[in-house]
Parts: sequence; structure tokens; C-alpha cells
Amino acid sequence: MAASLADAVAALAERAGEGAPLAGATWIMRAPLRREPAASAYVGIARIPELRRIDIDDRSVAIGACVSHAQLAAALAPHAECRALAQAAGHSANPAIRRMATVGGNLSTSAFAAADLVPALLCLDAEVELQIGGTGERMALQRFLAHRTSLEPGWLLNRVIVPRRPRRSAHVRLPLRRAGDYPVAIVSLAVEDEGAVSVAIGSVEPVARRWPALEAALKGDALDPVRAAARAADHLDGFNGRAGIEAPGWYRVEVLPVLVGRAVAALGRPA
Amino acid sequence: MTALTVNGEERASRSGPMTPLLDVLREEFFLTGAKAVCREGFCGACTVHLDGEPVASCLVPLGAAAGREVRTVEALAAGGLSRLQQAMEDHDAVQCGMCFPGMLMTLTDFLRHTPAPTRAEVKAALAGNICRCTGYERIVDAALDAARSA
Repeated sequence: MAASLADAVAALAERAGEGAPLAGATWIMRAPLRREPAASAYVGIARIPELRRIDIDDRSVAIGACVSHAQLAAALAPHAECRALAQAAGHSANPAIRRMATVGGNLSTSAFAAADLVPALLCLDAEVELQIGGTGERMALQRFLAHRTSLEPGWLLNRVIVPRRPRRSAHVRLPLRRAGDYPVAIVSLAVEDEGAVSVAIGSVEPVARRWPALEAALKGDALDPVRAAARAADHLDGFNGRAGIEAPGWYRVEVLPVLVGRAVAALGRPA
Repeated sequence: MTALTVNGEERASRSGPMTPLLDVLREEFFLTGAKAVCREGFCGACTVHLDGEPVASCLVPLGAAAGREVRTVEALAAGGLSRLQQAMEDHDAVQCGMCFPGMLMTLTDFLRHTPAPTRAEVKAALAGNICRCTGYERIVDAALDAARSA
């Protein structure tokens, strides 16, 4: 159990890629169910004070990697411009898992396609701070997602930075039951006062991503749920849905227009 | 050895640090109230309080519980049945009993933080506690009754 960030980085470096960081443990403890081998060593990072902090100022929300989903949802409740992220953190999995699972784990687990925080953070233009090879690096979340499986061994995600801007946002998910299941598909939507629209899709493909074609189609539009759903239906071509136990790939794609409409409806009125 | 506090007693476990806390409680300390069912955090039957918060003990590695306080369902009736347990009995809510320790641990914490819940809030709190006897409604009735009589 590392006591400081420096200790954790050193312990991971010492194990030269054979060790893995461990915080909420909700994914790692299920490795046997997925028939995956355990890492040869785990470095506990959950008690490192700076990874457990949420710092909110006028410009940004900085979220430590070991903040749990429940802590994040509670901290963001008063901040309307981060509503999509608060909804993602407050409705993923179930209450017990939300108390355990961390932000860093949700972003770092490349095999977990249904992570709720990823599309919410993508639509809010989040960046991540990493320790790679003993030095700090900051990069856009989208870039991190593209490179996280090929980073130098021993990397550690420290914090997630969400810029604060006047915007409305919403996070809509479709689980098989109302709660508790992995979502079939997720739509996160953010609309800035200037009319810019950000849309991110999760759980449909192996990695969450933005939907640039729909963002362009909705830019400057007077957003209406029915019209937005119709525009989404016109831009489904680029998706290749993943097959999974909850749903076949085609279904994950086909539900997107409805979820886009729900996300627009959930935005509410401009402040 | 890993030291932790279980139901107010200082305990030490010889298990490895990645052993699920659930297995330590059941197989080493013989506290079999928490049930091993899905082992993937979906069913809630293994719920215990860790530093006062309900968690899925099947997914807590022993190393992460070191130095922390664990409370299991066995601790709820230390001075006679708790108000919630009594309400469950009054409503005849217990069926096979597999989900029940987890239900009690989840609801004990929930009612502490939400003393006057709505029916929908009770159901939302139980989203991670699955009852395959489908006894939910009487469990929810009992939880609401326990809140009203507090």
C-alpha cells in the first residue's frame, strides 16, 4: 500500500510492467471470472491523499484518480455545468460499487467498454494527468483513450481535469433493468452557450468516443428532442457496435437516436 | 498478518492481501452472515460495512481492509433485534434468507442517512441487492415502517 505518489510510481517502476496499480479493485478482483491471470504484484494507491482530492476553482474541476463514483457525484451536485458527469457517477453500477469504484480505474481499464465516466468526461472536454516514466504529462482524454494500451509500462493516472464553462449537459444510459446492469449504450451531451454541441457515445463500441458528424449537424440548432433524434439517425453509418451478453452490436447502434433525443430532453432549459 | 477490526474486535488474518474480505470473514473468522453468491458485485448478498459504508465484500481485497473497521450483519442484533430487523420480522419479509444480510446492511446505512425515505428512494437504495425469491415489496414495506417508527 503506497503512502505517496512518489512511492507508488517507484514501486510500479521497480516491477517493470509486471505490477499494476490497485484502488477500488472492483475490476481487478473479478479477473478470475474473466479467466484473466492476476498481475504478479499490485501497488495499492487508494490511501494516497493527493489522489483522493477533488479541487474545484473558477476554471476547472480536478479529480484525483482514487475518488470514488459516489464521492464525485456528491461533490458535483451543486455544479450544474458538470451535470453529465454527476449523473454518470451517480447512476453507474449500484450504490455499493459506486462507493468502491474509482475515477482512475474507470478510465484506465481499457477492456471495460461500458464505463460511464468515459463518455461523460469526453463530452466535457476533460484532460488527464499521468505519470509516465517518472515525469508528469497532461493530455486530452480522447488521446489517452487511444494510447492507454501502448503507454510505457508503469504509468499511473493521477488526476482528471474538467474545464468549467457555461454549458448544459446530460448523461443518458440504457441498461436492461432500470439500475444495476451494464448499459447497452450511453449518450453524453453538452451544449455551450455559444451553440457548440459535444456528443460522446459509450458502450456501443469497445472504446467510447465523440460523435463529430452529429456534433456538426446539431451545431447552432435550436435543440429539440425529436429533431435531434432524426439527425442522429442520419449519422449512424460510422458505428460498428460490439456484440455482448446484454445486446448484439446492431441493437446498440439502433438505440442511439432515441438516447440522443432523451439526452436533449434531459438538458432542460437554458440557465 | 493483516490486522483489522471486525465487529469491534481487533482481528488478524493470515490470508494473502488479495483474498476477498468475504472469504476471510466466512472461512477464517466463521462469520457466515455475509453470503458468497455472485462474487462480482451485482447481487449485494455479501454487503458489509467498511469504515461505516456498505460495500461488496467479495470485491474488497483483504489488503485494502487493513487497519479498517468492518461490521457484518452479526453485529446488528448485539443488543436485541435492531428496529429494521424487527420490522422485517413483523412484515414476514424473510424468505430463503440468501439476500437478507446484504439487504439489512444496505438498508441500515440508508436509513441512517435518509430517515424519512420515499418508496422510490428505498428501491433505488436496493438497486444492488437482488432477491431471487422476489420478495422486494415486503422488504420495502418493512424499511418504510422502520423509518416511520424511528
